[in-house]
Amino acid sequence: MSANILAFSAVAALAIASGIGVIAFRNAIYSALSLIVNLLSLALFYLILNGMFIAAAQVLIYAGAIMVLFLFVVTMLSSDKAELQTSDRISWQRLVGVIAGIIFAAAASFLLLVHAQIAPDAAAQGSNNLFTQISAPGSGNTEAFGMALFHGFLFPFEVTSAIIVAAILGAVVLGRRSRAKSED
Amino acid sequence: MAVSLNSYLIVSAILFSIGVIGVLVRRNPLVIFMSIELMLNAVNLTFMAFANALGSVDGWVFVFISLTVAAAEVVVGLAIIVAIFRTRKEIDIDEMNTLKG
Repeated sequence: MSANILAFSAVAALAIASGIGVIAFRNAIYSALSLIVNLLSLALFYLILNGMFIAAAQVLIYAGAIMVLFLFVVTMLSSDKAELQTSDRISWQRLVGVIAGIIFAAAASFLLLVHAQIAPDAAAQGSNNLFTQISAPGSGNTEAFGMALFHGFLFPFEVTSAIIVAAILGAVVLGRRSRAKSED
Repeated sequence: MAVSLNSYLIVSAILFSIGVIGVLVRRNPLVIFMSIELMLNAVNLTFMAFANALGSVDGWVFVFISLTVAAAEVVVGLAIIVAIFRTRKEIDIDEMNTLKG
């Protein structure tokens, strides 16, 4: 067993265990903490896949910014009692939900196993030319990523800034309206 | 021997399904939101695995943009959840079945 497979198996086990933790913990704070572990293990996956920049961005944006926001809201609403005290409106919801999810996972994995060779074949037939290639060995993937982001994908990159401005405005509007309502 | 593309895709499918189960089963909107983040990240892992398999960085661009969109989505979604909590004083998704304030 090579080091690659060992690292992959360890990170995969960590990712799946923390993923189950997100939906299994009763307390929302524990869910948020295991989501952080999950996001960090995905950053490790990205490192294994040679994605240094994306791994760093994952840690900074997700584990750093988004999860801090999550933890703020979870602690502010302190919602750990609500789900225990009230019973499910639909009694079979839990069972059917789990069964449907397992069927989904089985279907997706089955399709992957049946069509096992599609992606490598496409790569072998020279459809690589459609994609931005990683630059020469030694210069690093991050340089190629920068070239792709600021040349081929410049317009989508600019549009994301508009999305962020819209999100900020939306958060401000939502926050202010609810404060005005609670004052009267 | 390198890890095959399919291993990553299956891990990604399992993580996505965990997110689906979370959305279907849990009734705390915050945990449902976290499950949605789980699904987003599973798809990001797929993008990264394909980018690595195809020797391209285009998948990175999608992951980067979806990180940005996820951040915007979390900001607005949490603001909505907080607004609902302030007006309704409860945080059970089964109770949020009307659009009235």
